Formats: sequence, C-alpha cells, structure tokens
Amino acid sequence: MGKALSWLLGGRRPLASHLLLAPASLWLIFLLVIPAGGLIVLSFAKNGPYGAIVWEFGLHNYARAFDPKYLPVLFRTFAFAAATTAVCLVLGYPLAYYLTFRAGRWRNALLVGLMVPFWSSCLVAYYSWMIVLGKEGLLNTALIRFGFLSEPIGFLYTPFAILLGLVYFYLPFTVLPLYASLDKVPRSVIEAAYDLGAGRWTAFWKVTLPLSLPGVVAGCVLTFIPCLGDFLTVEILGGPRYYLLGNLISNQFMMAQDWPFGSALTSLLLAGLVGGLWLYQRWEKA
Amino acid sequence: MKKGRGMGVYCAALFGFLYLPLAVMFVFSFNDARRNVVWRGFTLKWYKALFHDAELMSAMLTSLELALAAAAIAAVLGMLASYAMVKHKAFRGRSAYDALLNVPLMMPEVALGVGILTFLVRAGYELDFMALASSHALICLPYTVAAVRARLISLQESSLEDAAMDLGATEWQAFVKVTLPLAMPAIISGALLSFTVSFQDFVTSFFVAGIGIVTMPIKIYSMMKFGVTPEINALSVCLLLATFLLIGLNAAFAVRPDEASRH
Repeated sequence: MGKALSWLLGGRRPLASHLLLAPASLWLIFLLVIPAGGLIVLSFAKNGPYGAIVWEFGLHNYARAFDPKYLPVLFRTFAFAAATTAVCLVLGYPLAYYLTFRAGRWRNALLVGLMVPFWSSCLVAYYSWMIVLGKEGLLNTALIRFGFLSEPIGFLYTPFAILLGLVYFYLPFTVLPLYASLDKVPRSVIEAAYDLGAGRWTAFWKVTLPLSLPGVVAGCVLTFIPCLGDFLTVEILGGPRYYLLGNLISNQFMMAQDWPFGSALTSLLLAGLVGGLWLYQRWEKA
Repeated sequence: MKKGRGMGVYCAALFGFLYLPLAVMFVFSFNDARRNVVWRGFTLKWYKALFHDAELMSAMLTSLELALAAAAIAAVLGMLASYAMVKHKAFRGRSAYDALLNVPLMMPEVALGVGILTFLVRAGYELDFMALASSHALICLPYTVAAVRARLISLQESSLEDAAMDLGATEWQAFVKVTLPLAMPAIISGALLSFTVSFQDFVTSFFVAGIGIVTMPIKIYSMMKFGVTPEINALSVCLLLATFLLIGLNAAFAVRPDEASRH
C-alpha cells in the first residue's frame, strides 16, 4: 500500500501523473468537454414539437440566429460589452494608477477592498441597485428633493441601468490586470524620464502608459469576454426589451424549449470567446 | 502635494460607487417601512422575520451543504492535480492539463450551465444534489488549483521534502509528514474561496438545480420576482457579513510569498 502510494507520488512514470490528474480530468471531461461538445452537435439538429429533438443536421439554427429578429440581440450584446469595456478602462485606469504609485501603505487594503463587492453576491448588489434606481428609489427621491427633477424618471430597465450594472460588476476585472501591469513598470525608467527633463504628463504619455499597454489589453479582454456571456444584469436591471445573448440562450432552454437553437446561440458565444482569446494570444506573442 | 489629492478624491468616489449598494442594503435593512425608501425609524423586524421563514432557513441549509460539498470536492481534486503538475517531472500532456484546468474560469457561466443541463438530461441523469455539487466543484477547481499550486511551488524551493527523503522517509511518508501539513493553509484558503464561490453562485444553480433544490441565491431571486421586500436587505446583510468573515479567514490562511520561503 505505502509502496503503491509512494510510486504514485514519486511520479517517475507519466502514468502516475495521469492517475493523480484523473479525478480532476474526470470532472473536466464530463462537466465541461462533453457538455460543450454536445451543445455543438445539438446546434446542428432540429427542434421538434414539444421540445423533442429531431436529428436532421443543417445550419438552420445558425441562419436563424442571424435573421432580423435575433440579429439586434447579437449587436446589442457586442455593443454593451464594448461600452462596458471602454467605461471600465476609462474609470479604472486612474484607480489602478493610484493603487500602484500613490496608495502607499494602503495599497493592499484597497486591493482587498476592491474585491469585496466582487466576492459578495452579484444578485444582492443588483437588488440594491434596484432600490437606488427605482421610480420611488433613492436617486429619484434625492433628485426631486434637491429640485433637479419635478417628476421621477424610470432609471430602471433602461440601457443606462444595464451599463451601470455591468460596469459595477466588471470594474475589478479591468483594474486588477491594469494594476499588475503598472506594478511591473520599473520606477527607475520613469525617474530617468524625469531626469531627462520630462514633465509629469510627458513621462506618463511617453513612458508609463506605453509600458502598461499589456495590462490595458489584458484588462479589456478580461472585461469584454465575460461581458459577452453576461446573463444576470439584464435579467434584473434590464428586462426583456434589452435581452442580451445570455438571456436569449437562457430563454431557449428554460422557456421556449428550443434546445437546438439555444445550443447554436451558445456555440456562437463560445466562438466569440475562443476568437477573442486567440486574437489576444496572437497580440501577446507579436 | 495638491496633484495627488485630486486623484485620491476620484478614487474615493469610485470606491463609493462600488460600496453604495452595500451601504444601501445595510441602512434599509433597519428601516421600518415596507415599500418606501424614506427613513421611517429603526427596526429589527426584518431580521426577526428571516429566522421565522422556514423556506428561507431550508434554502440556507441547502446552500451550506452545497458549498461544503463543492469546496471539499474541489479541494481534493485541486490538491491531487496541483501535486502532479508541480512535483512530478515533466510528462506529455502537462500543458494540455494546464490549459484545461483554467477553462472553467473563462467559460461563461450561462454556457457552462446549459451545457451541463443538456448533457445530464440527455444522458437521463436526474438533476440531483450531487449533480449540482459537482457542477459547483468544477467552477471552484481553478481557485483551489491556483492556491495549492503556488504553495507547492514555493515549498519546492525550500526542498524540505527532499531533506525528509534523504533522511530515509519514503515518498508517502514525506508527503504525509511534510508536504501535506505545509500545504494545508493553501488547501484551506482554496477551500474557503470555493465555499464563497459556490455559496454565492446563482447562474449555474439556475440551470442545473433540479426541481426541489432551492439554494439561497435562487430563493432570493424568486423573492425579488415578487417585488422589493426589506427582508432581502436583512438577508443580504447577513450574507455580506459571512462573506467578510470568509475573506478575512482566507487572508489569515493565505501564505505570503516571503513567508513561504522562510521555512
């Protein structure tokens, strides 16, 4: 027994390594690889009556995803992901900069503080935004009290609410890679720029910003890609008028019972993900 | 020093934005009004209502069991996998394992959820507690692997295990007496993160939980569908405190790089 275990742990044979990795592989294969493959196969099948699946293969589900009824959903998903990434980048860069160069001994505390809303339930945070943005919510009450509005505005269930929710949730995804990259910029290089007569702005534009570019790209990728598959934000803050790809997928499986079409939409989402990561890797190597 | 201050104010404002929802739920969980956002006086009745809500308590129990099961599975899988990745000499397919182990992190949860749902239903497997716990364990796996792996790499440098084997310990003895105890803080830290991930998870449960399995986030979601009730605020505050506690515990167990190399 002890001998067998020692053999397993020693790992002088590849078989021992594969055996130790077997339990994790089992999980990955049965709950990730096969389900994803199954969805891709299913995406070429046909939907029968009452959600039955007819195994006649074709591209009809993909054609349907691009017909005028659903195309706006794909566009909207792309637009919201792009807008969220842009806003997160503009809002997050100064924060990452501050954390790296100015926060001093508060740095670690602030980094943990940045993660707390992320680690607490997104569902609960969005619920709270509902209280803030609602017709009788805090924002309306405050705006009326201070005379900026005479009638309450429906902030909730608008593109504004969706963007706000997305930015709220994904901001740490942008800031952390930015921080990691800014932290790697050698201080000596920035000081050299100052010594050579560069002002604050010149040093930033010519030295710090270009050197932090890998973080900018990583932050954008890590924000944009999860945004494409977001589901909860529109479910709670947006409503059916602004369905994104994730909501449309969910609907096919939970309400419409059109699993082949849902699978095709999911395959498109995965294609977007793989394509994005591929572009990122190419950029990284270049 | 004025230039620095403007940026500090900006960052404080951004943190204000991130913490506003948390502050709002905290304040309104004590507000004595059902529908209004105007302050009507202090009350604890929403907290009392929580503990008298049998359905809520049973959802809480389900979520706790689920998070424990998922964290335990992910810890074992993650420990074994990281051990082979770090300690074993290079073998064919290691980079494939490496890539695959990180996929659950990048995979959109909607895709993961509908994929598992479709697979299990087509395979004729009932959507039971084990199915959900296994799905949660999959999402948690990258976190435990990352935590344990970092620790094993830093232990590798200290070569304590080699020392034990030079003194005549078998690989198994060195593992039980040296590596496992030293890796334990990282295993616990990974398990705590997994517990948090599983306990908060809504999307995967939304798709994979069969009828009759009601987790806390699913319960909150169905309460929200009925409209705003201050009970959710009170519940959220409790969950938030639990999250703070878990993050604090995690910080206590997480090993700083400088500390690891001191052994």
